[in-house]
Amino acid sequence: MRGPALSLAFEGRRPWHWMGLDIVMLNAFPDEATRVRAATLPAGLYADGIDVVFRRGSHSVQALKDCSLDIPRGSWATLIGASGCGKSTLLRVFADIVKPTAGTALLHGVSPAEARANRIYALVQQGSTMLPWRSIIDNVALGLEISGLPKSTRYARAEEALALVGLKGFEKSLPSELSGGMRQRAAIARALTLRPRFLLMDEPFGALDEITRDRLHFELLRILEETGATLLLVTHSISEAVILSDKVIVMTPRPGRISEIIEVDFGRGRTPDLRGDPRFVQYEAQLRRALHQPA
Amino acid sequence: MTPSLAPRRVILPVIYGIALLIAWEALAHSGAVSRLVLAGPLEIVVAGVRNWSELGFNAGVTLAQALIGAAIGNVAGLLVAICFVHWGFFRRAVFPLAILCEAIPVVAILPVLILWLGNGMAPKIFVAAFLSFFPMLVNAYRGLSNVDEEVRELLYSYSATASQMLWKVRMPAAVPFMFTALKLSACSSMIASLVAEWLASERGLGFLVVYYGQSYRVADIWSAAILSCLISLGLYGITAACERRALSRSSP
Repeated sequence: MRGPALSLAFEGRRPWHWMGLDIVMLNAFPDEATRVRAATLPAGLYADGIDVVFRRGSHSVQALKDCSLDIPRGSWATLIGASGCGKSTLLRVFADIVKPTAGTALLHGVSPAEARANRIYALVQQGSTMLPWRSIIDNVALGLEISGLPKSTRYARAEEALALVGLKGFEKSLPSELSGGMRQRAAIARALTLRPRFLLMDEPFGALDEITRDRLHFELLRILEETGATLLLVTHSISEAVILSDKVIVMTPRPGRISEIIEVDFGRGRTPDLRGDPRFVQYEAQLRRALHQPA
Repeated sequence: MTPSLAPRRVILPVIYGIALLIAWEALAHSGAVSRLVLAGPLEIVVAGVRNWSELGFNAGVTLAQALIGAAIGNVAGLLVAICFVHWGFFRRAVFPLAILCEAIPVVAILPVLILWLGNGMAPKIFVAAFLSFFPMLVNAYRGLSNVDEEVRELLYSYSATASQMLWKVRMPAAVPFMFTALKLSACSSMIASLVAEWLASERGLGFLVVYYGQSYRVADIWSAAILSCLISLGLYGITAACERRALSRSSP
């Protein structure tokens, strides 16, 4: 997609508060040669020929077959497909939870393992799991606590993230006192405290009602624009995919493969009025066709 | 528990309890049952007051053995559970053996324990610890391994270490399970300590019961038994109160 030169130029213009992570990244590459190599690699999410084979005893299941994708830095991509198509598995490859049997996955030019060690991605899961004995702010600050930041910094960043998702005033509440939608916001805030370059979201809105989901979609888009993070989101909702993506990656099952990539050209500054746009209906129809195509 | 419900919960058992005591007292006075078989409640209270210093000292011995034993048993159970969680190989090797040991009727091997450990406090502490160990091991292991898959993945994505996982997730998650074990051990350790005193000892409530029994002091036996019962209840109550305090944060 974006050439190396452009990528480097883009790199130089990043605001410094998000560059805090670049310093971490540079420290991860002590020698000049690796640093240069990392700088010339795709700055977004990149996968080439990913195969994942799960072995259960004597028989094996091919979960992913030859998956390649390139999601430029700062853009938004959605993985969509019927259940069992391996979309969660592909997300987990980037999160270093699933190790690919073959192929390369890169996040900003580094392997998922390095990305995890440097905490350049943040995971938002389906269940918005919170530790029930911790207050919201302590849950949100958990990632920073694990990375060993002092309490004052942790709380300052957690409060900032809570304000961003509209949960100011719920710092001392317990997760059980919040609604499902609020817990999901808290889970997003928890991811944002890490100031991640990549947001990996696995059906984050799956358990929510339509109204809450709708509102959270546009809140998420606003946050993504403010932070410049790259999004990879797993969903099974066609309209969610259109609203939240620059690129919809359609997957088919048995074995999990990428069958089609649909570019959604709505740009930035998306609003709920999007749904009334005739192109929205066209994208939905196009996606539905792609999903129902025989493999 | 709402405050308005609390008196109702207490009043009924108290009324029935008082009625039972009156009936018991009446039965003891009616002459239908021999004094050697059944002592009346008043007689038991009088006996308890009369032997107060003797009962107090011996109860202290039994309580000390129970507490030391429970502490050792519970701490050991928790430590082994932590090892089980972290080393699957160790767990698979040791858990079946541990269950096998649990099936040992510890009272039946008491004579052997006395041969090994003498007739002082050691065998009593051992029995109390033995009976506290398994409930803690089983419950703590369940609690420590009771971690949601998503939470596990989340902490993995943070590159959390095993000890961070233990202290920030596993231990807090296991607290309710550990209290279940502690409540079990509050009662069982006192009984264990008392029973272990029956065979060979010069002190303790168990010794006192045997001593009173040999001289047919029925009211005195009952007073010792009831004192032991009250101490067990007290231990249970303290544990339950701690549990309520500890868990009030997470379940409003």
